[in-house]
Amino acid sequence: MLLRKLLRTAWSYKAQFISMILMITLGVGVFLGFNMEWRTIEVDTAKFFEETNYADFRLYDKEGFTADDLAAVLAVGGVDAATRFLSVNLDVKGENKRALALDVSENFTVSTFTVTEGSAYDENGEGFWLSDKYAAANGISVGDPLTVVFQGTEVTGPVVGLCKAGEHMICVADANQVMPDYRTFGFVYMSTKKLSETVRGKLVLSAAEELKQAGVPEEMLDEAVDGMLTDETLREAQRSVFVQIHVRSGLGKAELEDAVKDALGRAVMVTSKDEHVVYKEAMGEAKEGKAMGSILPVLFLAIAVLTMVTTMHRIAAKEKIQIGTLKALGFKNRRILTHYSSYGLFIGIVGTALGAALGVYVCKLVMSEDGMMGTYFDMPDWSAAAPGFCLPVMIGVVVLLTAISFFSVREQLKGTAADALRPYVPKRMKRTVWERVRGWDRLPFGTKWNLRDLSRHKSRSAMTLIGIVGCMVLLVGGLGMRDTMAGFLDLLDHDISRFTTKITLAEGCGREEAEAFAASLGGDWESMTGISFGGDTVVLDIVHNPNGFYNVIDEENRPITLEDDGVYLCLRLKDRAKIGETVSFSPYGTDETYRAKVIGYNRSVMTESITVTDALADRLGIDYTLTAIYTDETSDEIPPSPLVAGKQDQAQLMETFTSFVAIMDGMVLILVIAAVVLGIVVLYNLGVMSYVERSRELATLKVLGFRSRKIGSLLISQNVWLTVLGVAIGLPAGVGVLEWLLAALAGEYEMKLMLGPLTYGVSVLLTFGVSLFVGLAVAKKNKKIDMVEALKIADS
Amino acid sequence: MPIVEFDQVSRIYRSGEHELRALDRVSFTLDEGKFVVILGPSGAGKSTLLNLLGGLDSPSEGKITVAGRDISTLNDNELADYRAATVGFVFQFYNLIPTLTVYENVSLVSEIAPRALDAREMIAKVGLEDHMHNFPAELSGGEQQRLSIARALAKNPKILLCDEPTGALDSETGVMVLKLLLGMAKEAGKTVVIVTHNQNISKMADTVIRVKNGKIRSVEEQANPLSANEVDW
Repeated sequence: MLLRKLLRTAWSYKAQFISMILMITLGVGVFLGFNMEWRTIEVDTAKFFEETNYADFRLYDKEGFTADDLAAVLAVGGVDAATRFLSVNLDVKGENKRALALDVSENFTVSTFTVTEGSAYDENGEGFWLSDKYAAANGISVGDPLTVVFQGTEVTGPVVGLCKAGEHMICVADANQVMPDYRTFGFVYMSTKKLSETVRGKLVLSAAEELKQAGVPEEMLDEAVDGMLTDETLREAQRSVFVQIHVRSGLGKAELEDAVKDALGRAVMVTSKDEHVVYKEAMGEAKEGKAMGSILPVLFLAIAVLTMVTTMHRIAAKEKIQIGTLKALGFKNRRILTHYSSYGLFIGIVGTALGAALGVYVCKLVMSEDGMMGTYFDMPDWSAAAPGFCLPVMIGVVVLLTAISFFSVREQLKGTAADALRPYVPKRMKRTVWERVRGWDRLPFGTKWNLRDLSRHKSRSAMTLIGIVGCMVLLVGGLGMRDTMAGFLDLLDHDISRFTTKITLAEGCGREEAEAFAASLGGDWESMTGISFGGDTVVLDIVHNPNGFYNVIDEENRPITLEDDGVYLCLRLKDRAKIGETVSFSPYGTDETYRAKVIGYNRSVMTESITVTDALADRLGIDYTLTAIYTDETSDEIPPSPLVAGKQDQAQLMETFTSFVAIMDGMVLILVIAAVVLGIVVLYNLGVMSYVERSRELATLKVLGFRSRKIGSLLISQNVWLTVLGVAIGLPAGVGVLEWLLAALAGEYEMKLMLGPLTYGVSVLLTFGVSLFVGLAVAKKNKKIDMVEALKIADS
Repeated sequence: MPIVEFDQVSRIYRSGEHELRALDRVSFTLDEGKFVVILGPSGAGKSTLLNLLGGLDSPSEGKITVAGRDISTLNDNELADYRAATVGFVFQFYNLIPTLTVYENVSLVSEIAPRALDAREMIAKVGLEDHMHNFPAELSGGEQQRLSIARALAKNPKILLCDEPTGALDSETGVMVLKLLLGMAKEAGKTVVIVTHNQNISKMADTVIRVKNGKIRSVEEQANPLSANEVDW
């Protein structure tokens, strides 16, 4: 019977019940969705990394590693697996704008791949295993021929399999590319045997050329070449291509570094997976998700629960007579409490269940192959995982809502049955602080009425205000993030990148050759290497930019004319040293330490870096090779060269940001929709509550002769006041939240807070729009008010 | 010259196929400055009659003329203007605005009534001048009812409509309120219409209209009505 009563009561308070369920759904949904997003990134990427034996450490030596070096590393205690590894960016023959990263894992125990179509990996295989996404984007199928240019030598073979690899889960050419673009860049694996044959073929060609020039007749060339190519020559050539050893180990970085140094008898550069672009970006994305998942969803959930407190208290107060009747009939307090607590339980269970479904949907919207992150991450399995704290939070929400109902009803049950039967009496009206203000008496009645109503119903007014502030914070935060991102991209597109084409140079290319090549193109160049700076890995950016194709910019985005008498720290390293102080840094893999004076700060948006001119680098005696050339030539005009590992024109590079912006737009859209729904639900719920509570007063005004429109404007004006106050608080709060988010993202990108006038305008207008829309919807009810019915009830 | 004229007025409530005639072809007239009591048991239709006269509701059939104006065809806004200018209400449960003080509750009507009277004067008239800045919750029941009378009078209406004005009061306070209402008719020339089921109050009336089952049973003019003090509670 009481269940029937519960359902009927729910129906009679349908606006409140629906809005409470919606609030809980939204609160739990956003909380769960945003937190599931980062947890799913962690779980899915970890699974994929495990499946493809992602390296925990990468050892680099530009002279390369021998098979004996590998054996020595494998013999280190705590090293579970290791392989010599080749990874170079190279051109695809006949495709001017396409490039591939070529990988070879010598013993295929570390940094492997999973096949999605075609043949499994074969160490003696003749073909290629190509990135399935690159293949799909470029219409390549299993069986199609592929020719790549490796160190000037064409390597041809069929595509025998399509694959995904942990090493290229975020498939970008270098750290300067934000989003993968599979039309222009992918990866390919080939077998150890094919690499050996390629290296041998390259040696044969070069030996033959040498012999020809030495005057050896054509018919004797083969024999002569065979004589030249000893096993030792081949081993040396292989050593030069295997400049990396990938290691799987649970050791700490410093521990491994020392152990490897002892084992090899020389210092080599050791980087942990945290420093590898793929792992770093993936974890950065999870960290960003955690930041997004902390403040905004908690705000949602808090508003939802607070709204419940207010609403349940009001419902319990309105039900007082019924509560008293049940008590008078002989129902025990416990039974009545159980019955009314079930209201909160019902709302909690339904809202949380719907919220869980919404959370999974939001998570899938972001984390699925067709979702927003589908372009960013290239991995085979997309699950949906929630952090461990989500279930207790959801159970906590249900328990809390039940407790809110319990305590609201217990309040009404106090005393005897006769006490419980007396109608709920709201707090007596007392003089408000406003009334001490001079000129109070001259205020129009509507203003006094609304001010006193706000003071009398403080919790309702505070909840309305929190709803408006929440709406505003979400709008400013969401739209501001987009503005900031647009400003960030504009900075990259216009202020930093003034080139037409960026040429990524092949690893290990000679500095003199590369400089000559850059000069022939009239280009600027840079060299990026990993250095240890105060215990952290940062980038040393050696820049030669007399032509202004690649700018280093200051805090105000103005190009800096780099001076040769010191280094520039990026803004993220600003706290490390003041201008005029001396800093020291060590390139990885060397025992050298360099010291230089800080002469300025610059914005380095993508990497944490120390920037120096080539002249200063030379003066300090830093050994480096060029990594990129920036030129005004189009990619068609750039002559073929073994130095070139890849070419990207600026427009093409910026195009990769489109997907990035699309992800951002998606997130912003979710936030804007959530903000508007939040605003509407909270304000409508509280508006209806306020209307119901004041219906008797409104009916009285109507009976006295006030027109519906005038009464409506009284109701709306209270909303407008609260909205003005909410906007005034929400605007700086939104900016604060955004600053907090940007600070949380600072490890990944250096972004400057930017808020366009449109964002301010749209946020304020949308918030006012929501408030007015709800105000009008509630005020409209006033037209239908039954004066006779409303006035029948005794004064409370 | 009658100030109120009901001509074959019906109020029918329909719910599906069911039809309830709360008032059934009711006709009567009321003269200006009279103290009128509408008497009848619960459900007789007396409140419906009062609501129609007060412009809170519109008739399903028939015509209601007040001060020469047909109010049965007015739209919502015209009815609001009619209530603001022509009638004042006094309710059993006072219906005051709890968030406004005594003074503000009365002066409130100056925002809508075209011929509003001075609020302070009206408050003094009902003897509440010492409670000018109190909120309704700080007043006794009788004081609250006097305040509601002051508010009704402040509009300077032609007709004062009172729905069980003493229903929630003790006898002493009730007498005080009735005296006040009677004074409005006798001294200020207002037409005072009281709806009640209390037979004793009818002894004070110039005109007694008895209602039962939605019909007028009798309209009785009393030549020598009693004063409020003479009414036996």
